[in-house]
Amino acid sequence: MDSQEQLEPEGNVVTRLDDAWVTIVWNDPVNLMSYVTHVFQSYFGFTRQAAEARMHEVHEHGKSVVSSGGREKMEVDVQAMHGYGLWATMQRSGQ
Amino acid sequence: MRGFAERDGVAVAELDEDERAVVARIVADVGLLLGGEAFGMQSEPVRPERDEADEIFAHLAGLEDSLAEPNDPAILRLLPNAAPTDREVASEFRRLTEGDLRDTKVRRLRTMWEQLSEDGPEWEVERQDAMATAAALTDIRLVLASRLSLNTDEDADRLHTEIQLAEHALDTDAEDDLMVDPERVWLGMLYQALTWLQESLVTFVVNSEESDSNE
Repeated sequence: MDSQEQLEPEGNVVTRLDDAWVTIVWNDPVNLMSYVTHVFQSYFGFTRQAAEARMHEVHEHGKSVVSSGGREKMEVDVQAMHGYGLWATMQRSGQ
Repeated sequence: MRGFAERDGVAVAELDEDERAVVARIVADVGLLLGGEAFGMQSEPVRPERDEADEIFAHLAGLEDSLAEPNDPAILRLLPNAAPTDREVASEFRRLTEGDLRDTKVRRLRTMWEQLSEDGPEWEVERQDAMATAAALTDIRLVLASRLSLNTDEDADRLHTEIQLAEHALDTDAEDDLMVDPERVWLGMLYQALTWLQESLVTFVVNSEESDSNE
């Protein structure tokens, strides 16, 4: 499966029909905004602007969908986020 | 303590002997919590003999005891449930990833411990290791935050206020009137110091990448 996400101009993830799963990052009081932004940029390849938009979404709305794809790909993404100490979960999209 | 700043392409922070010993100790404790072998059994960092440091170690000793609890919420924060609403997905994820995640986290902590156990006040982090060190600092802060019951942004704000009150009480010799548990204040101050160090290290990473993209 293609590991690159398609980004809309605003930086939203386009959920394709075969992207049955999503990775969600949740807010916590520990992770620094600058750190989370950098992790999003370096791991997902987001532009700084897109990474900051997602970081703000996490901080202000409690969570953000950061990737979508097959279950195995989401396991890789969640593991990477846990490696960085971010609180990430995966679920079927639309749940 | 001086936060990380760039020097010849390397991030350099400064911690005095007491600070290094305290930080090295919490690094080793979190390594043990994750099931790693004890760091540096042959070469324990030299412990300073000053009273203040003794007091901090006493608080850290209490922390170490509580780290051994089963079903520890701090471990859950380091290795979270990947699918709280789907037990099958969650256990499959844990089976596939937990060993690797523990190994990665312990390895990063061990590197940090070794750096802090070197002589001299400077703590140097190479640029290619900076995010691994920042991640290790996150893991330590997650454990401290769990011990401090920091579950929301409001909890973190409250801790900040508590520490300010405690510092004010110490400054004015009103220590006896202090309504805050001294262990909580010590751990909270350690948490804040590590937060500040991590922030300075991330700033170093961001600045180095910006200067690269401007070249």
